[in-house]
Amino acid sequence: MEGSDSKSVSGTVQEKPANYKRISDDDLYRHSSQYRFWSFTPEQLEQKRIDTNAQAVVSVEERLSAFRDENNADLTEEEVKTLLEKAVPVTMEEEVKLVNFYAKKVQGIAQHMNLPTEVVATSLTFFRRFYLENSVMDIDPKTIVHTTIFLACKSENYFISVDSFAKKTKSVREAILKHEFKLLESLKFSLLNHHPYRPLHGFFLDIQNLLTGKVDIKYMGQIYENCKKRITEALLTDAIYFYTPPQITLAALLLEDEALTLKYLETKFKPKEEEAETETEVDEKKKNKKVEDKDNSPKEDKPESSINYDVLLSLILACKEKIIELPSVTMDDAKNIAAKLYFCNNPMKAIANSKRKQEESVSDSGEKKQKI
Amino acid sequence: MLKNYQPFNKKKVSRLRTALNSCLKMANNDIDGTVIVSEYTKEKKVGEGTYAVVYLGTKQSTGRKIAIKEIKTSEFKDGLDMSAIREVKYLQEIQHVNVIELVDIFMAYDNLNLVLEFLPTDLEVIIKDKNILFTPADIKSWMLMTLRGVYHCHRNFIMHRDLKPNNLLLSPDGQIKVADFGLARAVPSPHESLTSNVVTRWYRAPELLFGANHYTSAIDIWSVGIIFAELMLRIPYLPGQNDLEQMDVTFRALGTPTDRDWPEVSTFSLYNKLQIYPPPSRDELRKRFIAASENALNFMCNMLTMNPVKRWTAAQCLESEYFKEIPPPSDPSSIKIKS
Repeated sequence: MEGSDSKSVSGTVQEKPANYKRISDDDLYRHSSQYRFWSFTPEQLEQKRIDTNAQAVVSVEERLSAFRDENNADLTEEEVKTLLEKAVPVTMEEEVKLVNFYAKKVQGIAQHMNLPTEVVATSLTFFRRFYLENSVMDIDPKTIVHTTIFLACKSENYFISVDSFAKKTKSVREAILKHEFKLLESLKFSLLNHHPYRPLHGFFLDIQNLLTGKVDIKYMGQIYENCKKRITEALLTDAIYFYTPPQITLAALLLEDEALTLKYLETKFKPKEEEAETETEVDEKKKNKKVEDKDNSPKEDKPESSINYDVLLSLILACKEKIIELPSVTMDDAKNIAAKLYFCNNPMKAIANSKRKQEESVSDSGEKKQKI
Repeated sequence: MLKNYQPFNKKKVSRLRTALNSCLKMANNDIDGTVIVSEYTKEKKVGEGTYAVVYLGTKQSTGRKIAIKEIKTSEFKDGLDMSAIREVKYLQEIQHVNVIELVDIFMAYDNLNLVLEFLPTDLEVIIKDKNILFTPADIKSWMLMTLRGVYHCHRNFIMHRDLKPNNLLLSPDGQIKVADFGLARAVPSPHESLTSNVVTRWYRAPELLFGANHYTSAIDIWSVGIIFAELMLRIPYLPGQNDLEQMDVTFRALGTPTDRDWPEVSTFSLYNKLQIYPPPSRDELRKRFIAASENALNFMCNMLTMNPVKRWTAAQCLESEYFKEIPPPSDPSSIKIKS
C-alpha cells in the first residue's frame, strides 16, 4: 500500500497536473481591478497624463479658434492678442498640480466630516483616478469634489443620505449627483480599493510576534498611528500607481522607524548565513526585478521563501523616495492655474478681465495724479 | 464536416438576426415599449425585484444572449443605489467560472443597467420541479461548483451574505454561477461592526440569528450546508416562519449550542429565551438523510457546526472526503435538468 496514494483512489481523484500551482496572494492581487486598471509603470502613467491632456487641448483649441473666427469682426486687435495670450489650454504639468491641490482638499473635507480613514482614502483615490481619465478642462475639479466623497461613502458601506451630505458640505443635491455616473464610468466601475491600512495591521501583528520582547507595545501603538497618517499622505503621491499596498506600508514603516523595520525585514526575509546566496545569484535576481513585481521567479511551496530580501529592500527604498515626493501646490499656483482654466473655457471673460485691469490701472494713475 | 460549416452559418444568422432585430425594434418601439439601448436589446421581462427589473436580451454585435438588470435609480433619491454599487464593486473583482459574469454596464434614461451573462435557470427551480430527477453525483457536482465559487469570493475577502438556491444560477452548459452580490461586503477588520440582518431567513447562520455584529465568511458556509441538505431532501431543511421560530427550528434539528462547544454563546441576549435541545444522534441524521453516505453526513455536519470558529472553511469543504469518494461528481454538461 505504501507509496500508492494516488493509485488507491484512482478514478476518484486525478493526479495533480505537472504544472500544478496553488494560487498565491500575489496572483490574486494581479486579478484585482486595482492592479488591472490602476497600476502603471512610470512611463505608462506619464503617457496617460499626456494623452488625457492632449485630447482636451485639441477640443479646447478648436473651441477657441471657432470663437475667434465667429467674433472676428467684433474683436479689436488688442482683444485678439489678449485671447491668444490668456485663453490658452492648461498644460499637463498644470493639470497635475491642480488635481493634487484639489486632492488635498478632498482629503481635508472628508477628514473634516469625520469620515473613517478608509473612506477618506477611497475619496481621494477616486478623485485622482478620475483625473487620469478626464482633463480638468473637461470637468472642473471643484464640481467633482463632493461627488467623489459621496460615492466613496456609499462604496465603503458608510451611507449618508444625499440631503444630509449636502447639508454637511454646504452643497446642493443636484450638484452632488450630477456627475455621479460619469464618475463611476471614469473609474471603470472599479470601486474596490486595497489600501495599505490592512497590511499595516498585519505587519504590526507580525512584528510583535516576530520580535516578541524586543518591542514596546505602547511605542508600537504610537508608530501605528503615525504610519496611518503617513499612508494617507502616500495616497496623494504617484507611489499608489507604482507599488502594491503592502510595499507602501513597509515604506511608511521604514520612514517611521528605520531600525525597527530593517530588523523586522531581516528577521523575516533574509536568508540565514549558511543558506545565503552567492553575490552573483543576488545580482542576477536584482536584474530581474520589476517595479510592481516582488519576484518573478517561480514560487516555491513556502510563500516566505519566494521573497528575495535584497529585491524587497531595494523596492521599498525606491517606494520610500516616491512617498517623500509629496506634491505641495501653493494656493497662488492653484489660483493661477484655475484662472487659466477659467479663461480657456470662457474666452469673453479673459477679454473683460484684461479690460478691467487696464481701466483699474488707468484710474489708479488718475487717482495718483489727483493726489499730486 | 459540420464544424467547418458552422462559423459561416453562425455569422450569417447572427448578422441576419441583428438586421431583423433592429427592424423589429424600430417597428415595435411604439407598440410595446421595447427599446434598443445601444448595443443591447431588452426583449423580455423575466423578473422584478424591489430595486431592479431583469430583462432577457441580445448583445447586438455578437448575438450573445444576455440578461440586463435595470436598476431603478429614479426611485432612489440618493443617487446610485447601494445594492447596485455593491453588485458592481464585487462582480468587477471576481472572474471565476462559478461566479456570474458582469459583461458590461451602461446608463440609459437615468437607469443603471448591468449586463450579465444569460443564465436560464437556478437551483430553486430545479429543487421545486418534481419532474426533474437528479442523482447524488449531480448534487456533488453542484456542491463542488458552488464551493469553488464561494471559495474564490472568500479568498478575495468578499462575503456573499445571501446564498440560497435561488441565487445559484445554472448556465446552459450546466455550470453553477453564484449570483446576486447586492448584499455582499468585504470581510471586516476586527473592530468593524456589521448588521446581522443579512441572508434570507432559512439560510441564516446561528450567529446571525443571535444578532451578532461581528461575524466572518463562515456565515456563507452555513448557507451552503443548508442548501446541501435541501438538495438531498428536496424540501427546505429549516423553514422558520419568522426570526424567532427560525432559532427554534434550527436548534431543534441540530441541537442548541452550549458554552462547552461555543464559548460564551450564552452571553447573547437572546440565549436565555431558548429551549435547550440536544444535538441529533448520528442515527437520527442517517434517518433524516437516507441516501447520504457517512462522508456526506460529515461534510454537512461540518458546514452546519454551530460555533463559527469551528465550522469548516470553504477550502476545508473542498478538500473533504465527500468529494473524493464514489460516486465522482457528474460532469456539469451531462446533468439533465430538462424534465
